Formats: sequence, structure tokens, C-alpha cells
Amino acid sequence: MDRNELMKWIKAPAKMAHKYSLNAVYFCTGCGIIEVPPTITSRWDAERFGVVPSATPRHANLFLITGYVSVKTLRAIIRTYEQMPEPKYTVGFGSCTINGGMYWDSYNTIKRLDKYIPIDGYIAGCMPRPEAIFVAVTHLWTLIDKDMADGYKRYRKNYAAYRANQEMVLGKLEWPPLFPKETGTGTADGAAMAMDVASHTTGRTG
Amino acid sequence: MNLPLAIRLGSTFQSIDVESGSSGRLVVQVPGESVVPVLTFLKEEGYGYLQLVSCVDWIDRGALQLVYLLSCYTEDEIGGEEGSQEVFVKTNVPRGRASVPSAIGVYEIAEPYEREIHELYGVHFEGHPRLTPLFLERDYEIPPFRKDFDTKQYVADVFDSVPPVKEEG
Repeated sequence: MDRNELMKWIKAPAKMAHKYSLNAVYFCTGCGIIEVPPTITSRWDAERFGVVPSATPRHANLFLITGYVSVKTLRAIIRTYEQMPEPKYTVGFGSCTINGGMYWDSYNTIKRLDKYIPIDGYIAGCMPRPEAIFVAVTHLWTLIDKDMADGYKRYRKNYAAYRANQEMVLGKLEWPPLFPKETGTGTADGAAMAMDVASHTTGRTG
Repeated sequence: MNLPLAIRLGSTFQSIDVESGSSGRLVVQVPGESVVPVLTFLKEEGYGYLQLVSCVDWIDRGALQLVYLLSCYTEDEIGGEEGSQEVFVKTNVPRGRASVPSAIGVYEIAEPYEREIHELYGVHFEGHPRLTPLFLERDYEIPPFRKDFDTKQYVADVFDSVPPVKEEG
């Protein structure tokens, strides 16, 4: 352990633990997933950074969205994202998640992913190399330190807006809202947190 | 080299047009209603494998062209004679009422291809058991692979019109 980080460990042990145990959802969306096997295996060995692939989204806290997202994939992405336990971090991998990339005029590719789920950071490029994933991970550490990787909090806060955007593209969603009670935006944080407990027990869907 | 099969095809079917394509391939132009008889004939000739069914939108001619690519595994299957390993069967259907008989009765593997072409080009296959959507989630007024489908307009109307989430604080 780095001695310089000792104070951080004492001040916020949970945050430090989150930082160094990022379990990534092994979810293949586009061509970017090609970069993930060499990243997690011996050549680049993402485990040095505490990043390991997770078998199921319910045990994961890092969501790498690797490449373009079609309408059908968006449905799966939302379901996957909503199943992940908090705190959870999303990273858009490749330029397709930023503005559509080379699929900017496709009939079936949603362009900006951050209209539908909150994104904590992007890795630009087509394709980014595995090193770029590590740069992103170290940036994510900094964001977690500064409490700026707050995508899951923003999702909770603006859930109504996100859900409305999702339904604009996907039509009526067949699962109930994840946070059914927080329909209005601008809820005070304290009230929102109190309601979270209730929605966690009742609102979770499979 | 392709003469024997080409002559036999020409003598069996009147309304078809047989020519040699590049690298020894045989290209057979057939009208829509004789697709299934020609495919049946070719299957009995040894072309037991349907590689793919493809579709081309010739918007200037007002036609959709369906392409069936057949091949055989061994030369023995085509009667020992020196024949082409691959045969293209092409048919034109009018864009306005695009409908052809389904080839599932001859080649069962045609089912997903025909579903895909139905979804992306709007060609109706008579006798297909389930022409339900295969890939797409949304409804499109014009099937998206047709040339008159304006993708840029569609993207502007649908994906660009979704507002970004305004996040305060």
C-alpha cells in the first residue's frame, strides 16, 4: 500500500476500497469489446489496477460500454445498468458512445449515450488501445476521490428525465420504474435518500 | 465449360436467361414466379447448399433484385461433369408490390434470410411461416435499407430530437 495514501484510507476507507476493486461488467456491445480480452488477460493485466471482469452485473460496479449502441442494445444496457448495485460507474469506450462516431447517420444507432444513462467518463478514440482503459481507470480514481464520479446519484436525481428519454426511443418500457417515487426533479437530497431505502426494497425489478 | 447445365436449364424453363458470370459462375435470371421451380431443379442437380439470399434495391429501374447464391460441396454431386461450383439465381420484383414465393420449401435455411429481407427491404415472401421483426426494435415507415429511406432525416427526427438530460447542481 502506498504510504502517501494512508490518510485517504483513514478518512474514507469505503471510497478507497471502491477505487481498487472495480468489477467490470463483461458486456459486449460493439467492436470495442475486442480490446477488453487483452486488457484483462496476461498481456496488459488489468488486475494490476484492480479491474476484474464480473460474471454478472449484480456483482459489478464498473460498466464499460464498448462501442456503438443500437436501439436493441440500449434496452439491454438500461436493464444491466439498473441491476448493478450502487455505487456504480459508467465509462463510454470509443467515440461511438460520445456522438455516434462513424455511425452518426445510422438508422438504428442511438448517438449520444448520455441522453439515456449517466456517464462518468469517456475514452475517446476508434479504437482506444488497452492503455487508454488504464488511463481512464486512473482518472476514475481521481474522480472517486473528489466525489465527482456521481453518475448513479445523477441517475437517481433525474430519473424521470432519463426514463422519459429512454421511452422516446424504445417506446413503452416493459419494466416498472427503478425509482418510482421520485417522479419530480429537484428533490432535496435528504428526502431522496430516505426514499431510496423504500424503493430499494420495493422498486427493484429482475 | 458451363454449357451442359446452362443448356439443360434453358431447355427446361422457357422464361429464364442463363449467362456465365465471372470466374466460372453461372448467373440465371428468372421471373419471380419461377424462382421456386428453378431452385428445385438446381437442388436436384446437386446444388444442395444455399449460401445466402441477398437483396439489391435498383431504385432507378424501380425494382428490387433478389439474389440466391447456390453452391455444391463436391464436383461429384453435379454429375461428374465439369460444371460451375456456384450458381446465382436472380429475380427482379417491382418495388411497389414486392412479393415472391418463399424458398423455404426447397431450402429450409432461407428462413432467416427471408425474414431479414422482409424487415430491411419490405419484400413479402408468400408462404413464410413467421415474417416477424428479426433485428429492429422500432417501426420504420419505409424499410431502412431501401434507397429512398433518408437516414439523415430519420436520425435528425428521432435520435437528435431526444433532449439532453438537464442536470442541476
